[in-house]
Amino acid sequence: MDPLAAIRETFFQECEEQLAELESGLLAMEGGDTDSETINAVFRAVHSIKGGAGAFSLEPLVRFAHVFETALDEMRSGRLAPSADVLKTLLRAADVLADQVRAAHDGAPEDEARSAALAEELKALGPEGGSAEAAGTEDDWGDFAFQPLAAIEAAPEAGSGAAWRVGFKPRADLYAKANEAALLLRELRRLGEAVVELDASALPPLADLDPEAAYLAWTVTLPGNLDETAIREVFEFVDGDCELEIGREGEAAPADDVAPEFDISALLAKVQTAPENLVMEPVVEPGPRLAPEPATTPVDAAQPSPAAANDAQAAAQRKPDAAGATIRVDLERVDRLIDLVGELVINQAMLSQRVMEAGFARASGVAMGLDELEQLTREIQDSVMAIRAQPVKSVFQRMPRLVREVAAMTGKPVRLVTEGEGTEVDKTVIERLADPLTHMIRNAIDHGLESPEKRAAAGKPAEGVVRLTAAHRSGRIVIEVGDDGGGINRERVKAIAVERGLIAADAALSDEEIDNLIFMAGFSTASEVSDISGRGVGMDVVRRSIQALGGRITITSRPGKGSTFTMSLPLTLAVLDGMVVSVQGQTLVAPITAIVETLLPKASDVHSLGGHARVIAIRDSYVPLIDVGMALGYRAEPLVATQGVALLIEGEGGARAALLVDAIQGQRQVVIKSLEANYRQVPGVAAATILGDGRVALILDIDTIVAVSRGADSLRAEKRLAATG
Amino acid sequence: MSMTVLTVDDSRTMREMLRLALTDVGYRVLQAEDGVHGLEVLAGETPDVIVTDINMPRMDGFGFIEEVRGDPQYRGVPILVLTTESDAEKKNRARMAGATGWIVKPFNPVKLVDAIRRVAA
Repeated sequence: MDPLAAIRETFFQECEEQLAELESGLLAMEGGDTDSETINAVFRAVHSIKGGAGAFSLEPLVRFAHVFETALDEMRSGRLAPSADVLKTLLRAADVLADQVRAAHDGAPEDEARSAALAEELKALGPEGGSAEAAGTEDDWGDFAFQPLAAIEAAPEAGSGAAWRVGFKPRADLYAKANEAALLLRELRRLGEAVVELDASALPPLADLDPEAAYLAWTVTLPGNLDETAIREVFEFVDGDCELEIGREGEAAPADDVAPEFDISALLAKVQTAPENLVMEPVVEPGPRLAPEPATTPVDAAQPSPAAANDAQAAAQRKPDAAGATIRVDLERVDRLIDLVGELVINQAMLSQRVMEAGFARASGVAMGLDELEQLTREIQDSVMAIRAQPVKSVFQRMPRLVREVAAMTGKPVRLVTEGEGTEVDKTVIERLADPLTHMIRNAIDHGLESPEKRAAAGKPAEGVVRLTAAHRSGRIVIEVGDDGGGINRERVKAIAVERGLIAADAALSDEEIDNLIFMAGFSTASEVSDISGRGVGMDVVRRSIQALGGRITITSRPGKGSTFTMSLPLTLAVLDGMVVSVQGQTLVAPITAIVETLLPKASDVHSLGGHARVIAIRDSYVPLIDVGMALGYRAEPLVATQGVALLIEGEGGARAALLVDAIQGQRQVVIKSLEANYRQVPGVAAATILGDGRVALILDIDTIVAVSRGADSLRAEKRLAATG
Repeated sequence: MSMTVLTVDDSRTMREMLRLALTDVGYRVLQAEDGVHGLEVLAGETPDVIVTDINMPRMDGFGFIEEVRGDPQYRGVPILVLTTESDAEKKNRARMAGATGWIVKPFNPVKLVDAIRRVAA
């Protein structure tokens, strides 16, 4: 990639980080955070975006960021109070900035009207309610354009006349700041032919010489056709740290007495319009040898402005907290490493098996060495997996904006509460969580929360609360989306399900079962499809995307109190703890997380329901007994239940079933290999793995097997459904 | 003779821009993310020129310059302040802290190198 294009990509990546920082800072301030470092971080985020955008000439972005930054600066310097209204405006500005960044990235057109409207709002927050700010922006603007190459080359024609005489006497400060008189003289020589005279009269005898003091002075004569601006520019950095006198040869000291051909007004205009020069005019020390300078604006450096005082305060509060030492690595490299470690695990398992087959004793050196190798391999695998783990924060922090937007669209005041943002999970899981979470939060506000009037009538605060939490629980990550709304309207859900033919009119369902109807394909509350939730995506799609991640989703709802969706997901998509089983000579793997217990069926517990359908009594309840061999089409006739082993599993929604297999071989962690990527999707099979003996084993997709076996005789039925649907 | 330049900037984009512009003319580039990091890098290196941003977390440019100037070992190293702020206040504060000169962002690579040549022996 062209290096500049690569930096441009870096810029946009960095923008995303800064936008996240910006939003979380503003939200923290909204929540009452008054730490000056928070506002500084917020300011820095916008400032950095502006800086980078300037470098890539993304002018609309620079312009908006500048107005935004000005408002933040007002706040930073204490002139603007961070009231709730102000923060709301700033948050919306952050949203606009985010859209502008993305538009700039994609080269898409931005919503100019919206940006302009918000820019006006921001300006209104600025100094003197905006009017002065508008002018200030224009003035400042000059600094953001690429500046032309040094004026040194640009303006040699500006008048000619008597030769220039430059008197230059450094002070000690000049040297203390690592400036160097010799370099300045060299620069002057570059302008044109220079005659340099040294005045060393102040130099004391060597014994009295202070090496840090300044004793020398120079007078340089330069061609008269040079522009004074160019000469001054040479002294730009040392201004104030030297005595500087620039005048025409033979010119009287007062500056107003100039050579007739010298156009003083043009020069003044030039000096005044160049911001650099305005800024850089020296702090003139009125000495007898110095001529008063035209267009001089002395800068009182000793009197810090309020802004500077504020910065000083910020600097004093510098927190030298330990830097989290991090490096950036291409995801591809990490994935390659994970792949290789996966191969290592498989190889190690194969080696173990061969060693065992060769008849080495458990206590032999070889076997013990292998045990250690296995331990190490496990540790390496865990460590490598941890590289891919990231806090869910990156997806959680997209939600406040969504909540603001949906709240605005529905007219419902909403507060989003998040917890456990630091909970880590595999990056792929995080990426694929964004869509389902977005949908669920939208639903929670649109369908879950009642209107403010209804809430008031129910004695609830007008502001609804949506909670988004994450936590680790028994080797999985559990994410919950809850609302404090009215809960599921079970009557209506049931009526809809009956109407759509999803359940029989007389079906006796528990509350839990009714709640879970909303996950069924074909359940869509069309009568109230709205702009927000009605995007053609139902909860069945959400459930499918969670399942595709090896997760489960359930809902609990309490009338009048609200609903909570609970998702339980694996921490990684790369390995799986599996139960290795045999079915009709095939080796299969069932995910251990789904298995509640295993049992040997007794003939008296198994009851036929006609056809091949059977149930098994487990303690005091009946669960369907599903022959995995039949479900996957390995055999045409069901296995006699007493000849196999039953795995009691819990599928999504807490539904239980017993999977009948021929035998259990053991339990082990397996490396997941995508079947889809290497072959194609197969119903009832989630993925594949390679076992210690080198054979490929299929990993069961338990939920599909259960769902399909319940509704039809075999998976072929689903294929037919898929083909016709 | 190749020159070594330490760049201190919290923006990755800006660090990369600087690196590109400076390596292009054959300079060796050291990078730091903020003042604290800059001092850490200095512990092992003596660059010919330092280019630093002002607005940074942990330790800003002013603090960094003061620290560098306070260390006799780096007293003579020119420090250029790199910042979008063009106002007099920032420049003056940077100079009071001991900055040698400044470069206004967004910089032009030619101007950047030119400024470095102006202060480097």
